[in-house]
Amino acid sequence: MAEPGIVLDGVYKKFRRGELHDSLRDLIPAMVRKVKPGRAAVVAEQQKRLTGEEFWAVEDLSFTVKAGDALGIIGGNGAGKSTTLKIINGILRPNRGTCTVTGRMGALIEIAAGFHQDLTGRENVFLQGAIMGMSKQLIMQRFDDIVEFAGMGTFIDTPVKRYSSGMNARLGFAIAAHLNPDVLIIDEVLSVGDFRFQQRAYDRVRDLIRSGIPVVVVSHQLDRIATLCTRALVLRNGRMVFDGPASDAVTAYLGDIGTDADITTVGDISLETFTADRTADIAPGDPVTLRITGAIARTTSTETSYSVGVRISSTQDGHVVSTVSTSRAGLPLAAGPFAIDMLVDMNVPPGVYRCDAFSWDTVADCEIGITSSLFLQVRQAAGVHGGVTFLRPRVRVSKPTSDPESRSRASAEAVGCPA
Amino acid sequence: MTGGEASVTSWIGDVREILSDLVGSRDLLFQLARRDIAIRYKQAAMGFAWAVFMPVLVALAGILVRFATAFASGRTLGGGDVGEILVKSVPWSFFVGTIGFATGSLTGNMNLVTKVSFPREVLPLSSLLAQLLDFAVAAGIVGLLIPFFGAQLTWQLLWVPVLLALLLLFTAAATLFLSCANLFFRDVKYIVQTVLTFGIFFTPVFFTPAMLGRYGKYLMFNPIAPILEGLRLTIVQGHNLLEPLTTVSHGHVLTVWTPAYLGYVAAWTFGGLVAAMVLFHRSEFTFAEYV
Repeated sequence: MAEPGIVLDGVYKKFRRGELHDSLRDLIPAMVRKVKPGRAAVVAEQQKRLTGEEFWAVEDLSFTVKAGDALGIIGGNGAGKSTTLKIINGILRPNRGTCTVTGRMGALIEIAAGFHQDLTGRENVFLQGAIMGMSKQLIMQRFDDIVEFAGMGTFIDTPVKRYSSGMNARLGFAIAAHLNPDVLIIDEVLSVGDFRFQQRAYDRVRDLIRSGIPVVVVSHQLDRIATLCTRALVLRNGRMVFDGPASDAVTAYLGDIGTDADITTVGDISLETFTADRTADIAPGDPVTLRITGAIARTTSTETSYSVGVRISSTQDGHVVSTVSTSRAGLPLAAGPFAIDMLVDMNVPPGVYRCDAFSWDTVADCEIGITSSLFLQVRQAAGVHGGVTFLRPRVRVSKPTSDPESRSRASAEAVGCPA
Repeated sequence: MTGGEASVTSWIGDVREILSDLVGSRDLLFQLARRDIAIRYKQAAMGFAWAVFMPVLVALAGILVRFATAFASGRTLGGGDVGEILVKSVPWSFFVGTIGFATGSLTGNMNLVTKVSFPREVLPLSSLLAQLLDFAVAAGIVGLLIPFFGAQLTWQLLWVPVLLALLLLFTAAATLFLSCANLFFRDVKYIVQTVLTFGIFFTPVFFTPAMLGRYGKYLMFNPIAPILEGLRLTIVQGHNLLEPLTTVSHGHVLTVWTPAYLGYVAAWTFGGLVAAMVLFHRSEFTFAEYV
């Protein structure tokens, strides 16, 4: 068999806004038109253009995913990510261009779509497995592993309608995770179940990617894309706006969405530039210098006083991690141009963090302007598993002994963030 | 698996693709049929009685109708009459039940159709497979009863599997066509329900075409009619379907059977099956958009 892979070449897919008003009355003329000789070419041509309420959900998309590639696709809602996966999966057929998939496809999409609520977990494993393309024999071989992975235990013979939504999703993921695909596509399934199961699911996906099969991942968890994928593309309104290394794609995407609040000059204070000495490949605990330049116009009012600060928030949940400002640092800003350097230690778990520089009127006590955002990517590091903060762990393992000299020899020290 | 523009344009290619898809997903076909059967018997008051419920009702209705006609014409109802009705009620119930379930099989599994990739043919065909179990149970019961109602053990019984195969394939064609049509036009299932309800009056289930005199032959245009008549003639009368059969009624010589009927049904079955397969297969890729 040829090398497994996915090739999209100039793929277009159109959808229509509003409702389809189809009835049998429309069907018959439409079918006659299609059947009439010479009309086939005209119909085929119509497929390639937009009419009326139609729009391109995916427009001129080309990429190749080969063995060893893990391609991430990121973009806002309605950017065309899921449509692209459906085209790869063969659920939708492109209006123009071709999509060729070589090898047996495994799809971690809608992992519990085939479940029937009245059937037991066991029956659903066989049903869902068959829907995903596993043979009965293969499911029987892996049945125990699936139940074990899902942590179902004795609930496997209970109807699925009595499961919690987490159990449902865990069982679905476990079935999908035991497919033996040549090509894998994954859509937003990394956040099923509780925290422990998420970690297990993540590890499973990482192992599948490491096994070297071609993989396409769609996720809104940008840090996952950045760490799992070798490459990523950014879609906006169905068009590819970036294709390159995954962490650069995340930066490009975030830069793309971050530019909406671009009010830099309000009143007498203007913020001109906002930069960081590094934005990617930051290990937890690493120092980052944020630099803001701007100017305060000479002002007649002596009561007015300005402050400039940076608010750092998590892109995962939007929580503000920290706010740093000149006024809190006790540093007044004089009239005229200024350059402010803020050195922060990124004592945060892996993820993508958004930084907004803002100006503040300390007398009126309100924010008066913010700049375009910067995004800092804190990478995965050994010994750190999520959470809300990075505690700079130093883990020590030693043999319990009374002799202080042998203790120092037997112990090993590991700092939480080695390369 | 290949997306992209259709490369196969000949119908032979379509049929070959469907058949290889079906062979490839036979496990799925059986799992879905199992699902349909399991759901029907779980938390159900009727249990396995469901399998014979509809055929029994149809047969009782038929016996009532035959009794009424016999009474009107001053005859008495014979065991052979009951046997005829038993033989025809079970296949008719299978046909009606399968069409009824399968028409909504694509729209009823919308979640799968829009989100998971697999050959969509398995959805209507698994409904057929599930109904086949009920049919087997009911047919087994008829097989046990029929010797007491005039059935004869002749070589002509070898026609029965042929006729049942034709019925099965014709039903398969109808499920493919109707499930697909119902996906695009939701009113199809209401049309189908109505047609099935009154279809029994346009199909010789309770009566024989000969009872309609000269006009009976028009009833045989209904592709189900020659199948049911064929079953009746072979099982109850031991007639060889390769030979014509006539009867005299009110001074008219009426054709009860001609071998041409076999050809007529075969044409409907195989023509319909190919047409339905090609239609289904070519529109399959738009299901997710239109469902």
